[in-house]
Amino acid sequence: MAGDSTANDRPDAEDRFVFFGGKGGVGKTTVSSAYATRCAAAGLDTLLVSTDPAHSTADVFDQPLGDDPRPVDGRENLWAMEIDPDAEVEAHMNRIRRSLSDQVSPAIVNEIDRQIELAHRTPGAHEAALFDRFVDVMRSREEYDRVVFDTSPTGGTLRLLSLPELLESWIDRLVRKRTESIDLYEKAAIGERQATSVDEDPIVARLRERKENFEFAGRVLREDAAFFFVLNPDELSIRETERAIADLAEHDLGVRGLVVNRLTPAPDDHEDGRGARYLRARRETERERLATIRSTFDAPVVATIESRVEEIRGEHLDAVADALDVDAAAAAASDARSG
Amino acid sequence: MSLADRIAAYREYLREVLHGLYHGMIEHPAYELIEKEAEDREDEFLLACFADAFGVPSPASYYTAELLPYLAEEFEQWERRMWDRSSVLERKGQQYHF
Repeated sequence: MAGDSTANDRPDAEDRFVFFGGKGGVGKTTVSSAYATRCAAAGLDTLLVSTDPAHSTADVFDQPLGDDPRPVDGRENLWAMEIDPDAEVEAHMNRIRRSLSDQVSPAIVNEIDRQIELAHRTPGAHEAALFDRFVDVMRSREEYDRVVFDTSPTGGTLRLLSLPELLESWIDRLVRKRTESIDLYEKAAIGERQATSVDEDPIVARLRERKENFEFAGRVLREDAAFFFVLNPDELSIRETERAIADLAEHDLGVRGLVVNRLTPAPDDHEDGRGARYLRARRETERERLATIRSTFDAPVVATIESRVEEIRGEHLDAVADALDVDAAAAAASDARSG
Repeated sequence: MSLADRIAAYREYLREVLHGLYHGMIEHPAYELIEKEAEDREDEFLLACFADAFGVPSPASYYTAELLPYLAEEFEQWERRMWDRSSVLERKGQQYHF
């Protein structure tokens, strides 16, 4: 059953972190929830993290979820959380304000406040906040055998994944500039400003701490993470997936597999009404598209899921989980052996 | 006062004058130059950190905002300098004392 997916490049890698990405509306939440359920059922302590600003994990499991991991009712070994970037941005801003008022006089605080406000209203702030939470979750990995990320639609996720590289070089430059200016002040040793050495500088320390954080994230993404793309059998979805995979490859991240969702179900053989003919015609086109998907992409198709009439929640989730050919069970077995 | 003492005193005086001259002409401008350079470098650093204060979007301003508690005073002075500084030429010209 897991035969298809063991054919990939790193069958033995331990995928602590599994990301599901794809275009908006292809069913990422359903697939990632189903996958998480499956991992949990296989005996792995699993955390499902939703990063899509329009959360719908709570709807899938039919219970309220929050910004912190909480156990999912009625499912063993399964925890879930919905990251709220707004709340994180707000909290970050307040932390800075608090430490600001600890350090400097109130007159200056007002001046600086504008800048803090500004920095937290920039378009990048949401992504940065989301990224911080990602790293938090990754750092607390010991608590879980597997963390499943239901990511926001393609663009956002990819930008998020490219952040470590981008910011590492950015921070390098900042540290260099800061070091140079400290060095020069030291040489001149003038003015009321006391010459501090680079190692004592709280700013350099802070920047290095940040850099370490980015390096950690980059490393984890490259070494401990697996990416799956969810797509529908339609042109738009296929093309977007193609682009997304190319983008990931640019960051040295490979795609483990594809999940094709929303396939049209077949009518019974004896049926020959208009509806049945429509379904058959559609299935024919989809079969061709599926063939295209299998031939264009290097990544294997690990599951095909048929459309369902009802919303997928509750027991339907188990049915979808069964359709997933991702090797949760095999991984659990090998974990048990090695542990 | 012996001749030797007078010569010694004169040499002391001469040394002070020469040192003053040296300090005024060479040493001080050099230190000033380094100081200016350090300030310029710091300005660059602040600009790289807080480019968004001047409407240039920065990918890292969310993170550099964390530095503000340590940089508050410098930041405030810097912001004022950036708005006030009439031209780079003027600032560069300050090192020549005509």
